[in-house]
Amino acid sequence: MTPYAFFGALEAGLLFGIVAIAVYVSFRILDFPDLTVDGSFPLGAAVSALMIVSGFNPFLATGCGILAAAAAGALTGLLTVRLGFLDLLSGILVMIALYSINLRIMGRPNIALIGEPTVFTPVEQLGFKSNTAILLVLMAVVVVVATLVSRFLLSEIGLALRATGANARMAAANGVNVRHATIVGLTVSNGLVGLAGALFAQSQGAADVAMGIGTIIIGLAAVILGESILPGTGVVRAVVAVVIGTIVYRLAVALALNSDLLGLKSQDLNLITAVLVVVALLAPRLRRGLRRGIFAAEARR
Amino acid sequence: MIELRDATVVFNRGDPLERRALDDLTLSVAPGEFVTVIGSNGAGKSTLLNVLTGDVLVSSGAVSFDGLDVTRWPVNRRAAFVGRVFQDPLVGTCGFLTIEENLALAARRGCRRGLRLATGPKRRAALRDRLADLKLGLENRLGDRMDQLSGGQRQALSLVMAAVMEMKILLLDEHTAALDPRIAAFVMSLTNQIVAEHGLTTLMVTHSMRQALDHGSRTIMMHEGRIVLDLKGDERRRLSVEDLLRMFSKVRGETLDDDALLLN
Repeated sequence: MTPYAFFGALEAGLLFGIVAIAVYVSFRILDFPDLTVDGSFPLGAAVSALMIVSGFNPFLATGCGILAAAAAGALTGLLTVRLGFLDLLSGILVMIALYSINLRIMGRPNIALIGEPTVFTPVEQLGFKSNTAILLVLMAVVVVVATLVSRFLLSEIGLALRATGANARMAAANGVNVRHATIVGLTVSNGLVGLAGALFAQSQGAADVAMGIGTIIIGLAAVILGESILPGTGVVRAVVAVVIGTIVYRLAVALALNSDLLGLKSQDLNLITAVLVVVALLAPRLRRGLRRGIFAAEARR
Repeated sequence: MIELRDATVVFNRGDPLERRALDDLTLSVAPGEFVTVIGSNGAGKSTLLNVLTGDVLVSSGAVSFDGLDVTRWPVNRRAAFVGRVFQDPLVGTCGFLTIEENLALAARRGCRRGLRLATGPKRRAALRDRLADLKLGLENRLGDRMDQLSGGQRQALSLVMAAVMEMKILLLDEHTAALDPRIAAFVMSLTNQIVAEHGLTTLMVTHSMRQALDHGSRTIMMHEGRIVLDLKGDERRRLSVEDLLRMFSKVRGETLDDDALLLN
């Protein structure tokens, strides 16, 4: 692997580490398979890109991208808890609606940000090269996000969210409003995805309406991979695990794409991801089956 | 005073399966009273409990706690006044969280939750003392996940969690039925101890006539969504399980055979 490919993978790993933390919150903490993220990722990108080319401060633009995506998450929550829609369906509905909304926001399928100021510009001005600046900022953002999310999950509200996802009847009996908890969790989760989308657009130099495809699966792959690399309990461990999981996953993907032996191309990324998730989900079952096979063999002896 | 006035619950209204789970039921429980509830399957015991917790809202009638009308309040709002232990220990405690986190969650029942840390060293010391009283050795396992404990230990913790905060009524839903006899006896004695210590108003649903008479200060028998027997004081004290069984059969319009006596 070339250094260029390595740093590219590291950059993507950090960026999708934010997505993975968000997916951990919805999928693991709330037990809510939230497909909204495929729409809120480009929404964060679209809002921030439009504002940047319109002359707004890139930090303000990123903030608005976060808020827009958070609102999308809240909407999915409302559809589920107020109207009683199936969680998967609510997410899909909002995701589909966001496709049109994102096109409307940008007025075209993509907005280029080449030469525009971004949140990475201040670090570049300190004398760092563009790629280094992006890496430094992303590292800082991931550390801050991981710390804040961990702290949030350890708070009284965070504990109520965790109880809601794990045992809603028990949570309600202890006074937790499980509907509110679901909405709060999805709002936080999608806000983080919007942040990742805004940073992605600024680091890649463009926002594109199709950039969200597969976001949920990339996040899920990272969560599952992280859990198998760093198993155990506790939210801090889990948050660290999903970030490590994402970086390992992106590096593995970069290795696979760079090896001539396999003949894979970059367009195979989503297929590789899907296969990886299937394998990771089957792994515990396969391990059990194998063990049972060994015991059966021993019993026969 | 916990009051149900003309409470009626109809399931599947207008359907061939329409069923009156509570039929115009009126009940007042005085402060400090410990009521045991018996009745056959489908008599409405669970519905009575669920109407008090808010899991089921009455079709007509009213529910009030100390004069406060809570008829339309959902479960989480009533939780400020209701301590509760489920039949299934897996429902009453959260296996995914640690012992400490379960207790911390219960310690905010009926309070606003904020962004403060849910657990901390100060609170930990108080919890440790509280758990040491149980003599289950759980005070040294605060960081263990709840799903590592046995059903009996989880049920004991359910009781402690319910009693952590003040309440107007403690609701016990056959909370010893899923436990083996030795553990069930332990949980029942812990129940009596906690009820006495805090002077709790309590309503306990049970399948066991023995348990219904041995514990508490008042026994009600339900049948087809109504209260058909309401016993307290001397009358209740003189009653044997056999007497109660005979009454039970009479209510159901059956003759008592020896099998029923033996089985109970």
